[in-house]
Amino acid sequence: MQKRSKWLKIAIVISSFCILTSCGVETKQLERLGLITAIGFDLKKENEINGTVAVSKFDPMAKVMTNVISANANTLQTLRAEENLAIDQRLEMGQLRCVIYSKELAEKGIIQLVNALNRDPTVGNMVYLTIAEEDASSIIKMDEKKIKVNIGTYLYNLIRQNVERELLISPTLHEFNHKFFDNGQDPVLPILQVKKDKVAISGVALFNDDKLAARLSNDKLFYLKLLTDEYRTGSKELEFDREEFSNIINTQGGKSFGEVYNKLFLSIDTLRSNTKIKLVDKKNIRFKVEVKMDSRLLETTNYLELGKTANMKFIEKKVNQEMEKQIKKLLLFFQEKKVDPVGIGNEYMAHVRGKPMTQKEWKELYKNAKFDVQVKNTIARTGTMD
Amino acid sequence: MKVNLHPKEGLLINAFMLFFIIHSVQVGVGLAGLPRVVYLVAKHDAWISVFLAGMITSIVLIFMVQMLKQYDSADLYGIHVDVFGKWAGQSLNFIYMIYMTSTFFIILMNYIEIVQVWIFPTLPTWQLSLVLILIVIYAVYGGIRVIVGVAFFSVIGTVWLVIVLFVPLQFGDFTHLLPILNVNAKQLVMGAQSTTLSMLGFEIIMFVYPFVKEKHKSMLFVQIGNLFTTIIFTLATLISIVFFASNSLEKTIWPVLSMFKIVRLPNLERFEFIAVSFWMLIILPNMCFYLWAASKGFSRILGKRQKSGVWIIAIVTFAATFLIKSRYQMNTITDVVAKLGFYFAFCYPVLLAMIVFIKKWFKRRGDKHAETQ
Repeated sequence: MQKRSKWLKIAIVISSFCILTSCGVETKQLERLGLITAIGFDLKKENEINGTVAVSKFDPMAKVMTNVISANANTLQTLRAEENLAIDQRLEMGQLRCVIYSKELAEKGIIQLVNALNRDPTVGNMVYLTIAEEDASSIIKMDEKKIKVNIGTYLYNLIRQNVERELLISPTLHEFNHKFFDNGQDPVLPILQVKKDKVAISGVALFNDDKLAARLSNDKLFYLKLLTDEYRTGSKELEFDREEFSNIINTQGGKSFGEVYNKLFLSIDTLRSNTKIKLVDKKNIRFKVEVKMDSRLLETTNYLELGKTANMKFIEKKVNQEMEKQIKKLLLFFQEKKVDPVGIGNEYMAHVRGKPMTQKEWKELYKNAKFDVQVKNTIARTGTMD
Repeated sequence: MKVNLHPKEGLLINAFMLFFIIHSVQVGVGLAGLPRVVYLVAKHDAWISVFLAGMITSIVLIFMVQMLKQYDSADLYGIHVDVFGKWAGQSLNFIYMIYMTSTFFIILMNYIEIVQVWIFPTLPTWQLSLVLILIVIYAVYGGIRVIVGVAFFSVIGTVWLVIVLFVPLQFGDFTHLLPILNVNAKQLVMGAQSTTLSMLGFEIIMFVYPFVKEKHKSMLFVQIGNLFTTIIFTLATLISIVFFASNSLEKTIWPVLSMFKIVRLPNLERFEFIAVSFWMLIILPNMCFYLWAASKGFSRILGKRQKSGVWIIAIVTFAATFLIKSRYQMNTITDVVAKLGFYFAFCYPVLLAMIVFIKKWFKRRGDKHAETQ
């Protein structure tokens, strides 16, 4: 009895060793792998895409650390197989950081290509998706000497640091999916542009379904972020008529207004904000958008008399009015372009019982939605000066 | 065959271990796909369905434990023989044994499928199944106390995964939960029924019961174990609904594992690999208990040694792994076993408990008559 269980133990140990030490499982040696860090997709012709990949190498002997390969195919997997034929290392998608779609593709719809990433278990969920202003391959093919690092890493850092500074809405694969598959929200992705040997973010693309429908310039992005996220840092410059503020402008003993600007610019910096979108009238689809924020005044182009409470209230009121106007304009712009990056549809569906709504039904209703915008801004601090 | 089972003092386990037993056997491969399965039926109120299922399980457990308390120290095999007589009882025992073997098989196959999809696409099924079955046989050879130990370490070793589940929450959109109770009662109940595969495992109490030292305390710990499972299941479902858009949750086969994809540690880019590997620790006690209970049945029915039962069941299961090749076959057979489980673990024990109560009541009355005469 005792002897038999000893034999069993030995058999288990031996077979475990044999099986667990890789017979049957593929080995992946780091030096022999080419890690794809970025992929760019362009539309070649109908039914054919051109994919360009940046491959990072680990081979210490190699001088060039990145390889760029381009191939044409119909599906992502064939593309990878085609590309595999053009390199001495085995291509792996596990370290993919950034995917770029050309504007042309985005206008036709990208979900067919994004789904390929969703199905593949080797692709992470935190890959950044972006749109190229022109063609995607030119971004991947950027001269690496100028940017000093692998293009995939560069793009990853470019987007990540801006997301962390709260200047950009996080464009990960997960967030794209979430917003795309939600019936009451549309995705937003950043647009990349090559500017003098550097890649920069030139704006954001707004999607209707999976098609690029409109773009938003960087300065409007503040309001979109204000509406969608809990905002912590981020600043916005507001433009005012100088005449309106003439009462509180401190001319500092009769010195001139300054001639560089003939308008008054205020720059405010959000400390925290909280946005509530409420459905107030179900029948007429009327939403109340309430933005509460604490901010600090960072910059004024004229000295203002900030010591007095009344003046501060006046500025707050002016800022509120200006922001309300801008937000309302932005919401109407979204409505006109039939995009819903804020997720107003989700808010609507959350309060209407009955059968779940399809995206199409919501977009029909969305056309007639009305918005009341209310901004409550408290200027909590004014920097080191009064 | 004796109705009551009186194991040696040294084989008994403490009643509080029932918490680990019930919890670890309930949590298994089912959990990985649970949110989606329920969501397909009960939509964004799926979490209510899951909670409801937990409540129902708790009621079924009351019946089970009360039924067991009618006997001195019996397991289901003994009760069958006592209630239905030798031939009918033994046939029912045999059917229950087959049910447990098939559950064992389903757990094994589902886990292997997860490993093949997520980590090793080219790994042949038989290799992993051989290793897993051998480990399980090894544990079952050690007897009930070793298996309970496996259950204990499985719970302790994997409970931290629940904390990791909170990471996806920050990407969530809570408007998905509203309006609450938007589906009708029928859908909620149907949703609760679809949790069967995940909730299964608590029926093991009917086989472990003779080994519990303080039997009067068993109800408490069984209920706590089930409550803990219910909370974890509800939480996982809730987070999945908040995290995924509705259309993508309907398409994701293992939402809980997919959620782990979002977790990113500085030196570990892909957390789901860790989660899938740890999942083996989660399913290990399930497989051990099912194999143990099935092989126990073998020895109880035929009066042979339990160890030969272990080998026979293991070999049959191993042979069966060669029959399944694809995802859709897997789906069909999982559905069949889930349905079986619904009848075997939820409906049948309640029915049996009723029969036992009536029988015992008649017997007591008969005894009283005999005394008075």
